[in-house]
Amino acid sequence: MIALKRVGQAVLVIALAYVLVFLVLAAIPGDPVSAQLENPQAGYSEAEKAQIRSFYGLDKPVLVQLLISIGNALRGDLGISLSTSAPVSSTIGEAIPSTLALAATALVFALLIALILGFASQSLGEGRLGGLVRSLPTVFLSTPNFLIGLVLIQVFAVQLGAFSIIDPETAGSTAFAALTLAIPVSAQIAQVFITALDTTTALDHTEVALSRGLAPVRVFARHLLRPSLLPTVTVCGLVVGELLGGSLITETIFGRAGIGTVVQKAVTSQDVPVLQAAVVLSAAVFVGVNLVIDLVLPLLDPRLRAPREAS
Amino acid sequence: MTRPVGPAPVGPAPVGPAPVGPDVTRRRLLRGIGAGALGLAALPLAGCALEAAHAAGGSETPEDELTFLISNLDGGWVPSKSAISSYEANVWQQLTDKLVHTDEKGTITPWIAESWDVASDSTEFTLHLKDGVTFSDGTALDADAVVANLDVWAKGRPDAGIAKVGLFPGSTYDGAEALDERTVRVRFTAPSLSFLPTLGYHGCLLLSPDSVARSLGEQSDLAHQIGSGPFVLDSWAASDHVTLVRREDYDWAPPVLGRSGAAALRRITFKVLPDDTLRASAARAHQSDVSYNVNPQVLDSFTEAGFTIEVPRYLGFTHGFRVRTNVAPFDDVRVRRAITRGIDRDEILRTVFTKDWESATSWLQSSVPEAEDHSDLFPFDPDSAARLLDDAGWTGRSEDGYRTKDGTELAFTLYPTPYLTGSVPEAELISQQLGRLGIRVATQKIDVAAYSGKVEDNPDQGLAEVTRSFVDAGTVAGVITADGEDWFALGDSDERLADLAGRVAGTADRTERAGVIDELSQHVLEQAYFIPLEQNVQRIYVQTPELSGITVNAVAIPSYHAATKTGSGADGTGADA
Repeated sequence: MIALKRVGQAVLVIALAYVLVFLVLAAIPGDPVSAQLENPQAGYSEAEKAQIRSFYGLDKPVLVQLLISIGNALRGDLGISLSTSAPVSSTIGEAIPSTLALAATALVFALLIALILGFASQSLGEGRLGGLVRSLPTVFLSTPNFLIGLVLIQVFAVQLGAFSIIDPETAGSTAFAALTLAIPVSAQIAQVFITALDTTTALDHTEVALSRGLAPVRVFARHLLRPSLLPTVTVCGLVVGELLGGSLITETIFGRAGIGTVVQKAVTSQDVPVLQAAVVLSAAVFVGVNLVIDLVLPLLDPRLRAPREAS
Repeated sequence: MTRPVGPAPVGPAPVGPAPVGPDVTRRRLLRGIGAGALGLAALPLAGCALEAAHAAGGSETPEDELTFLISNLDGGWVPSKSAISSYEANVWQQLTDKLVHTDEKGTITPWIAESWDVASDSTEFTLHLKDGVTFSDGTALDADAVVANLDVWAKGRPDAGIAKVGLFPGSTYDGAEALDERTVRVRFTAPSLSFLPTLGYHGCLLLSPDSVARSLGEQSDLAHQIGSGPFVLDSWAASDHVTLVRREDYDWAPPVLGRSGAAALRRITFKVLPDDTLRASAARAHQSDVSYNVNPQVLDSFTEAGFTIEVPRYLGFTHGFRVRTNVAPFDDVRVRRAITRGIDRDEILRTVFTKDWESATSWLQSSVPEAEDHSDLFPFDPDSAARLLDDAGWTGRSEDGYRTKDGTELAFTLYPTPYLTGSVPEAELISQQLGRLGIRVATQKIDVAAYSGKVEDNPDQGLAEVTRSFVDAGTVAGVITADGEDWFALGDSDERLADLAGRVAGTADRTERAGVIDELSQHVLEQAYFIPLEQNVQRIYVQTPELSGITVNAVAIPSYHAATKTGSGADGTGADA
């Protein structure tokens, strides 16, 4: 029942996003079709412009356009891009692999960084070094992601020639783009992770383990990690939004042709059908990932599934 | 060392108060491992760097390959949409052929049309096509294919959302027919001197009849665009790249390119890099051969780094303002002339652009064959400008020091055109220059989406920037007349202008028409209907000095058929063909 309700909510959120994008863009004057027709190079007459606009249905009232768009979407037809005329499904489809590679790599990097920061925060204690480690997430969080990207490009691509600027889909370039995206994202995870670790460290069973003379890594892995994962996994669901948003900036800086780039172009050119599809996709991913995480949590923590088995 | 093998102490023995001992060990151990872990963190990244270093090892492109960086190819591949775009046109030019070649002076030379006959009244044209030309899918580029293309250029397919070619004389187009396999007759209902030059215009690119007939959605896929050009598509991805490879059996280049047979370059990669600084970095790291449309203000750093700057100029109007003469205060010729004389064009060239730009000498680009130098009609002369404003009654002063008349301040707003790199700083400079005369000029940056509403189609906006190319000077008649675009919002009020425009449109003799066009230009400049700024440059190519053998056409689009990167044997002679 609860799962059904959640799915219902998710669908509602996505539908609202679809309508909202349309209405917001309809409120702004201009559209890509007219912009192309108005290009001073083109030299079209008013009648010629009107013919083309009517082909796209842009001469119809906004609400009629919206209803047509919803009707088509329900039938699985996302329409064609107003700027390139390419089918929206292929415009989005072709951009997904690039973003997926970037976001997945970034998430792995972010988790690694968070894991290391978490371990260091527990092992370095309260000293100066420990303080430094504990302040790193805040530093990461407040460093703009475009700045990180530009510095990485300047140092590693331009000066050291470590990766190719003009071919952003190579493994090397993807790794640096992912690092750019991972740093701010890792901070959010690390903050929650460290707090959880602190709580767990203070618990009796950790003291017991240490007093038994267990190796620190073992203590960390066996006794600290698992209890601290719960809030950390939850925050991972939330950073998906950060990953999607950050990919927009990262992709632009590194010249990657992913969803972020598609969205950015669609916004600047007011390409309504493409933007609607992209927003719906992002909303679906966000909602979907969080749904999955809710389902995974009980596997990590027996307490969450206890009620059913308790007798 | 101290392996905790033994049985763990049973029971709740000494846990709680466990004193100093274990704590110290724990700290030290953890600290050591912590440091190690931090080092570990760097590992994956170092790994990436190493791997990447291998990948980028041969970053300098081979001699017979060209890498062309471009900020976007967002216009897509529907020819009626993007053939005239400053961006996609660079790709189309290599992929397709045209019926004729129109050079940067407007001279027409044969290409796919080997020769042509023109009826004495310029209403009927017969094109004789080259034999043996094929599209890259093997179908013949014959008379039927040409007719299919002409029909779409002239009329478009509005019911399929496909627009005509804007400058094609479509309203007088009466149809084309294939007389035999290699002969096409084209008829117009009125003299159409612009027909032949327009065939060399970037909109009129020849595609296979199959491509022309496809739906809008299908046309958006570049792989469906089958041309007959010296290069064919290898691969493309939206917002990412277009890679072209040489067509080995190509043998119909226009003679002006100076090379017969297949292209010299084996491969051209157009790589999309939206970020300006990134393109600059890539160029400096020698990862590219050409960077397109770099901001004029950073060009110097490229010149210092050894790059060549090419700013080919198209035939057309100079960059300048057209004035809607029914909008106050521009309804007074003295105000219009004062603005014309209050603009210091040399300062604009020095400050905003580089030495590669030139001042306007008329409202037509100086490369237009019919254009004469009339720069004496719009000198920079602030003193006489001030006198003109005094005469016009703008003698009062507002609190801020701007001129007033009957309590109204002499003020207007400029919206820099989004179609020209550098227009924003240029507008700001003009605002300062006119400010010295006592005119308050506000500038407001505006994007493509809002531009037509605010400027082009806004009858209350007095000054509108012009960045318009044409291949035939006859175009001027259409933009100024009441039933045309009525650039100066004169209606029929200026009889002399209407008369001159009528004569330009109706004259079938080119030499006679040139005289009328010059008379018309003088009139436009004397009346300050048009305020010229500088020779229009809409395409900026920053390229490696090794690149040579490039020919540009009337709209300043380069052909890379004869281009080589060795810097020798490629000065257009085709010695290595």
